[in-house]
Amino acid sequence: MDFNIITPVTVKELLGTMKKFQKKKFRFGAGCTDLLMELKRNPEENLTVINLSRVKDPLFTGIKKSAAGFRFGAMLTAHKIMVNEEIRNNFKVLHEAAESLASTQIRQVATVGGNVCTASPSGDMACALVALEADCEILGITGKKGMVPITGFFTGVRKTVLKKNELLCGIFVPAKNKKSKNIYSGFVKIGTRQSMECSVVSLAYHIQADAGGKIIHAGVAIGSSAPTIRFAEDAAHYLVGKKFENISVNERKEFAARVLTYATPIDDLRATAWYRKEVLFNISKAIFENDAKNSR
Amino acid sequence: MRERMKKVKSVQYPQHEISFILNGKKVSCKTKGSAVLLDVIRDVFELKGTKPGCHEGECGACTVLVDNVPVNSCLFLAVNADGKNILTVEGLLHADGTLDPVQESLVQNGAVQCGFCSSGMAMSLKALVHQYENAHPVAGEIKKGIPSRDEIKKHLEGNLCRCTGYVKILDAAEKLFLNNE
Ligand SMILES: Cc1cc2nc3c(=O)[nH]c(=O)nc-3n(C[C@H](O)[C@H](O)[C@H](O)COP(=O)(O)OP(=O)(O)OC[C@H]3O[C@@H](n4cnc5c(N)ncnc54)[C@H](O)[C@@H]3O)c2cc1C
Ligand code: FES
Ligand code: FES
Repeated sequence: MDFNIITPVTVKELLGTMKKFQKKKFRFGAGCTDLLMELKRNPEENLTVINLSRVKDPLFTGIKKSAAGFRFGAMLTAHKIMVNEEIRNNFKVLHEAAESLASTQIRQVATVGGNVCTASPSGDMACALVALEADCEILGITGKKGMVPITGFFTGVRKTVLKKNELLCGIFVPAKNKKSKNIYSGFVKIGTRQSMECSVVSLAYHIQADAGGKIIHAGVAIGSSAPTIRFAEDAAHYLVGKKFENISVNERKEFAARVLTYATPIDDLRATAWYRKEVLFNISKAIFENDAKNSR
Repeated sequence: MRERMKKVKSVQYPQHEISFILNGKKVSCKTKGSAVLLDVIRDVFELKGTKPGCHEGECGACTVLVDNVPVNSCLFLAVNADGKNILTVEGLLHADGTLDPVQESLVQNGAVQCGFCSSGMAMSLKALVHQYENAHPVAGEIKKGIPSRDEIKKHLEGNLCRCTGYVKILDAAEKLFLNNE
């Protein structure tokens, strides 16, 4: 594995570097935890890595809260996400996903942008962000920015809508619904070992209920169950109008069955497709028991 | 075949000059852009205490501290060490030749068997100590009290040990904090 590396320190330098290498082969490197492993396995010739880790700009490293929601830079590490109090209090699903990612050492360098852009079906923070219906802020080579909903960001295994001359600069998570009083939010990861890249399956949910306990909005996403992380829209919709605490056993099963319609898992060395479906069904059903105590 | 070899040879990427603090001393060297910190520490500075285990971020034997936080040096680009403060297991040794309390506790509690994981374990534990002490605050994240056994376990998730079964390592970590209290 050998490559050329360029380390811009400002956004202007970054865009300049992208322009310079426009016609050549280049990749972005954030925490490089995925990138180095990939390049070790499949070395590329004449490759330049544009190293994002020294770009000191709030566009990439800032956290900003507004009435509309929460915006954070793509270069925030899993550790920074995990220790952020606002994220812990408002978006527990993302906090738990960051906390369950890899290990203490990896969390110090692995970025949320890298987790999204690597587009692995088992990306933990990415799965939580899909349940939160986040938007991806994209920076183009001209400096122009655009927004794409994360639910439409992944196009296949390790494939995204990003073009070569674009990168992810931030993530926007919308604030909770004004009427929302109770939020049931969490990340369930089932794997052979907690600190492994590939979960057998994972489930992210962020369910908002009003003062009376009636569900007014729900986001549900599944990981390691299809070529991409899937937003289980129909399952989430099914919950709206019901009272979280009163969901019956049959309704739980119906919810889990609807989650399962989004799963097209494969047999691999970690688990069989059959096992993945069984587990997904069971953890989907179980969120109503787990989370009753954890609501805020 | 010959053509292919020529092609590979023709790719000469520029070297990078990096400077950083290594175990308290300012050092500099030239490195390839693709080199990882583990190789620079072992091959350029010949500090062999940092162990190459898996080269994949799984085992933690290569753990070093970068500005007081633990990272896998096998997945950390050497160019990103430029300007940083790097601590390896060699840097734990005090000037008078005595061991760091972290090492002392591992030794006293029988937490070292073959020793391959030990330097990485010691560095991870040192990072945990930093989180709790004011002397080396980690970016405003000083915690109060002492960590629970569960917190220690979670903290050491990225350090594998083939020998000890972890119990003695957890004991050593717990005693370290109790003695420090
Ligand atoms: C031992 C080990 C355990 C792991 N465990 C987990 C786990 O439990 N859960 C999990 O989800 N992941 C896990 N991973 C995978 C990986 O650590 C994460 O996906 C991490 O978040 C990637 O972030 P990074 O900053 O290191 O990305 P990088 O490796 O720097 O980048 C990943 C990809 O995204 C691209 N990229 C990065 N940033 C941008 C950007 N801003 N714009 C455009 N493209 C970009 C890169 O070009 C590259 O293709 C593990 C990896 C290892 C080595
Ligand atoms: S050698 Fe770095 S984690 Fe195993
Ligand atoms: S003591 Fe042998 S690997 Fe831990």
